[in-house]
Amino acid sequence: MRTNLAILLAGLGIAIAAVPVSGHHAFAAEFDANNPIKMSGTVTKMEWINPHTWIHIDVKQPDGSVEPWMIEGGPPNALYRRGFTRDSLPVGIEILVEGFRAKDGSRRGNGTDLTFPDGSKLFLGSSGTGAPR
Amino acid sequence: MSYRHIVAAGTLAAASVIAAFALGSAAAQDSEGGPAPEAGAWSQSRTAWGDPDFQGVWRYEADIPLERPSQLEGRELLTDEEVAQREEIEADQQAKRLEGFEGGAVGRLSIAESPIRGNEYNSFWQDHGRPRQVYKQTSLIVDPRDGQIPYTPDARKAAARSTARYGVGPFESYLDPDTGERCLTDGVTAMMWQGPNGGHNQFVQSPGFVTILHEEFRDRRVIPVDGRAHGNIRQWFGDAVGHWEGDTLVVDTTNFLDRTNYEWASIWTRPSETLHLVERFTRISADMMDYQITIEDPTTFSGAWTAVIPISRLADDTQIYEYACHEGNYAMPNLLSGARADAAKKSASPR
Amino acid sequence: MRTGSRSAKIVTAVAAAVVIAVVWSGCAPPPAAPTEPYRAPRTAGGAPDLNGIWQSLNTANYDIQAHAARPALALAPAPPRTGAPGLDRATPIALPAPQVRALGAVGGVPAGEGVVEGDEIPYLPAAAAIKKENAEHWLERDPEIKCFMPGVPRATYMPYPFQILQGTDTILMVYEFAGTTRTIHMNDVVDSPSETWMGLSRGHWDGDTLVVDVTDFNDQTWFDRAGNFHSNALHVVERYTPVSPHHLMYEATIEDPNVFSRPWTISMPLYRRFEEDKQILEYKCVEFVEEAMYGHLGLIDPGTGQANK
Repeated sequence: MRTNLAILLAGLGIAIAAVPVSGHHAFAAEFDANNPIKMSGTVTKMEWINPHTWIHIDVKQPDGSVEPWMIEGGPPNALYRRGFTRDSLPVGIEILVEGFRAKDGSRRGNGTDLTFPDGSKLFLGSSGTGAPR
Repeated sequence: MSYRHIVAAGTLAAASVIAAFALGSAAAQDSEGGPAPEAGAWSQSRTAWGDPDFQGVWRYEADIPLERPSQLEGRELLTDEEVAQREEIEADQQAKRLEGFEGGAVGRLSIAESPIRGNEYNSFWQDHGRPRQVYKQTSLIVDPRDGQIPYTPDARKAAARSTARYGVGPFESYLDPDTGERCLTDGVTAMMWQGPNGGHNQFVQSPGFVTILHEEFRDRRVIPVDGRAHGNIRQWFGDAVGHWEGDTLVVDTTNFLDRTNYEWASIWTRPSETLHLVERFTRISADMMDYQITIEDPTTFSGAWTAVIPISRLADDTQIYEYACHEGNYAMPNLLSGARADAAKKSASPR
Repeated sequence: MRTGSRSAKIVTAVAAAVVIAVVWSGCAPPPAAPTEPYRAPRTAGGAPDLNGIWQSLNTANYDIQAHAARPALALAPAPPRTGAPGLDRATPIALPAPQVRALGAVGGVPAGEGVVEGDEIPYLPAAAAIKKENAEHWLERDPEIKCFMPGVPRATYMPYPFQILQGTDTILMVYEFAGTTRTIHMNDVVDSPSETWMGLSRGHWDGDTLVVDVTDFNDQTWFDRAGNFHSNALHVVERYTPVSPHHLMYEATIEDPNVFSRPWTISMPLYRRFEEDKQILEYKCVEFVEEAMYGHLGLIDPGTGQANK
């Protein structure tokens, strides 16, 4: 019975009722699951908008030049409820992005995993920066 | 503090399951095993003009699937032991969720290893902060007794097709993503309980009207309860009229637009001209509402079906945030651009 | 005493005319100046009752300042015609732009008296230039065209009704356009976590007047179709005052130090839509604008069925 329940609950993570738990996302239409990206950049702007937040970062290139990228995050509403606001991700802070590149090859990606350089997760409130006040 | 809403054991006829919820005929006990509030201690809050007061922000917080999973076929209720086991597993996942196991219940160890779907983002983007209510229903659907959506054969095919193409396409134009991806709406059928992000519903009451504001897509319903008849204008959300039966708000909705030719993430939420909804809202405690919805639509279903959903009231200072979906919908031009890039690649590399 | 009797006759005639005029006008003589303003009925909770469906009736959404009628919202100047024998038109004529030409009189802009007190909008010089550009690029820039939320105060005077619903501690303003809703918090509320289209509204009563203080705007909305705009420093204070059972008087004071040199105020009546069973209907216009916004972006244009280049 426990095994059945574990299977059941695992199944709950994926569409029992035919709607993914993470809500709407035509992920595979926008982003290329075969083209992972991993980069660090400094935040120049964060758009706290629906349906997805967007974090603009400047990514330093080996030759010293800087490339602007747009990274798609999840929706902001749950973060608001945990006390985060438009000031929570300060301009100039460095973040690490692991995700997938936009299918059309533009400088856009999806931020599947967003962390700080010390390894702590963004927006989890325990590392100080980005913590709710 | 989480409440246990224990359904009375006994006959499992759908009607009695519904009735058990509707009457709230359960003892409440706090999670530390402390003394339960006295039976009958709570009495219905009322507005200044005497109607039951539903005002505040509400949300569905249980994990009951809409349709009964095949592993539980033939069972309408879980046993106490199963409920306890499920609570254990959920508490464990809750604790792990913010420590490195991301994504859905599976727990994602690395991007490479796990399926993308359902795990596109760290789970901190989702609203899992509040202890869940615990229920024994094995499905939200209580009628038909098998807990399954009674699709017509055509609609069942449409549902399978919709699931298969969800997030995958093809996307030739803006008509091909589903209505939610287009920032239109997810429809009204599941408004009271769907949405891991933005599933909050705020009730506001004024004489003659009960208004429900849903956070996602800023969907809203201004429901007249002054005894007027249905109008004759078709809308995405139909034309709702409500009346009070004792302390239960009964809402009857007809006059939907036909939007069956659009893509829907969940076919069972799509409106057609023959869709008819009957909903019953009863506040059964300070924190709980019993919500029942009966859906009939010969365009999509071979018979009427009923779901019973327990809804929780959130703290008084909970807010609904502005949802400017269309205004910020970079995803639409991005996915169309992705589709063109895909097509260009295909035509550039002949087989 | 010929003069006297003639004066007397004139006086009598004038007096008679006055009496006749009063009788003909069909009303009692006007009362003395009112000593008390209109007092609205109360809700069951004791607040002034503004519940109902309201609508403005003016051309403010076209242009909040006084304006003459003009052919269209988007104009293209006809170039001067010189050099041809018999033709000499030095002054450009403003004609409807090609994109809107087929609408004809349906697409024209009616004249209006304006709703800005003093009729002047005190733009800072750089901002005045932006306003002019906005007007010239209306078709690309007006957020109303894309079914974006209209902001405050524009939502009040768009040509659709809105409903005021007074709950406990919360007053809703339910607008028809784009399913826009504002929540007026009558109790304490924290600042909005992000910039918003419709602002964060805090309300209180000043006698019978509902005063609403609105902050936390983004810079994306306009005040009308004439290109009047603001920055994210916008601060609006609205006053809704019942002046009769079927009228509210609406005022909005606008302040934005990035754009205007001082605060300025608009005002207009709002009229009750008292038809029986009147409801706010849907104007879910996102569906209406997708073809214009996205039709050319995919592989196929649904409007034509043809492949996009």
